[in-house]
Amino acid sequence: MSTKKKRSAHTKSDSWVVIAPDSMLHTGSSEDSDPAFTKLRNPATEGSSLYLFGRGDDSVYEVKAFTEEFRSWFIKQTVQRDGKLLIVTPIDPLFLLLPYIKSAATEGKFQPLKQMVMDEVYPGCTRLLQCKQGLDFIHHVADEKEVGSLKFHRYNQEKTMDWLKKKVQRTVTTLKKSNVSVGGGVKSSTFVRVKQEADAREEDYLRYAHGLISEYISEDLSKDLLKHLQLPEISSPKETEPPSKKRKLSDKPVEAGEDYTKFNSSDFARKPPKKMTAAQKTLAKVDKTGMKSMASFFKPFTNTFE
Amino acid sequence: MSANSCVTSVRLDSIKQADKPQVHLLPCEIEHDGPAEVSAFFTPTMKERKHEVSVSFRGRGMKGHELNCPQGYTGLVLKEVQKPASDQEDRIVKVSSVFHNFTYWNLETPPTSDDGVVRAMEWPMLAEAIHGPVDK
Repeated sequence: MSTKKKRSAHTKSDSWVVIAPDSMLHTGSSEDSDPAFTKLRNPATEGSSLYLFGRGDDSVYEVKAFTEEFRSWFIKQTVQRDGKLLIVTPIDPLFLLLPYIKSAATEGKFQPLKQMVMDEVYPGCTRLLQCKQGLDFIHHVADEKEVGSLKFHRYNQEKTMDWLKKKVQRTVTTLKKSNVSVGGGVKSSTFVRVKQEADAREEDYLRYAHGLISEYISEDLSKDLLKHLQLPEISSPKETEPPSKKRKLSDKPVEAGEDYTKFNSSDFARKPPKKMTAAQKTLAKVDKTGMKSMASFFKPFTNTFE
Repeated sequence: MSANSCVTSVRLDSIKQADKPQVHLLPCEIEHDGPAEVSAFFTPTMKERKHEVSVSFRGRGMKGHELNCPQGYTGLVLKEVQKPASDQEDRIVKVSSVFHNFTYWNLETPPTSDDGVVRAMEWPMLAEAIHGPVDK
């Protein structure tokens, strides 16, 4: 512990500060169920993360926590010791449905979605089938067959890659308009941002966007996407670090009793390639910190309400 | 039944009764949850000069900056209505407060756009790019 004075133990908080989209707050029809925080399988880590279903389950949101050490809130005339800020943002339900659809593909046959999207550990996943942006867009990741009034689906890797590529392109467009630094401006792990560099290259944007999208897909898909984007795999300069340190760097939620390292997407870039040019090495350095710095601010949540 | 099947629902109708408090994010951990005389001892010492607010708190000078919630977003304080008896139960929270801006405070260092909490406010814009629907 770095603190000189011993801090008293945290008691369980019963109050949370949240930034939430207005779409979640629309009261809508009174018959609809209230918004609900639910644990679902994280598509990148396969561990547990917290999500939120909007009213009537028509949309789903991700819950990220912004935490800094030594922060507390004043709210009107009260102190809230826990200085955490939760940020609720929309998540594309296809990201959450994809692992189910993909794993059902091993049989290679068309199946009803209801049959694919089932999970004993996370029964809440069936609510994803109510989300508009899920069902209406399923053709982005699967072939569709209609027999009478019934619809059947089968995972399609090519379509999925095209869909993910479009996601990356959308993200690149937004990054270019924003003042998020994707390239050489990001140098230190403590994150000191230098103003957007004019020479941030297209590849820097692509890699950064790929890193952001990879937070929502499996390691395998992330690698496939890299190929689809025609970006070579690069290794990280942190290769030589001991495994224990690697784990600490990870911003993925940790599930006890699960081999999470296997699914940890931040590990995939660390395999040494045969040869690296000096330029690639520099890029590897820049890139890794760039992706990390954004991701490390926001920890996908495992146990918010504790 | 596993704990993963439990949900925490947000009682949205409570938003009508929610208050609109002043909210401050402090650069220190206060080992207390509960009432405090913020308006008697904290707010009156706030001084505004140009774009910077400063305050003296327990003899320490702090510099602050008012942050708006990102466009299309609202700040909420959620409060648990009733403590559950076990972790196998559904839980209910209500919206006890609503806010559209808050002041974050730094110890000594003047607030800049590189501060973590400022950057956190950029996340919704990025999330929209990552998660918005892709055309047919």
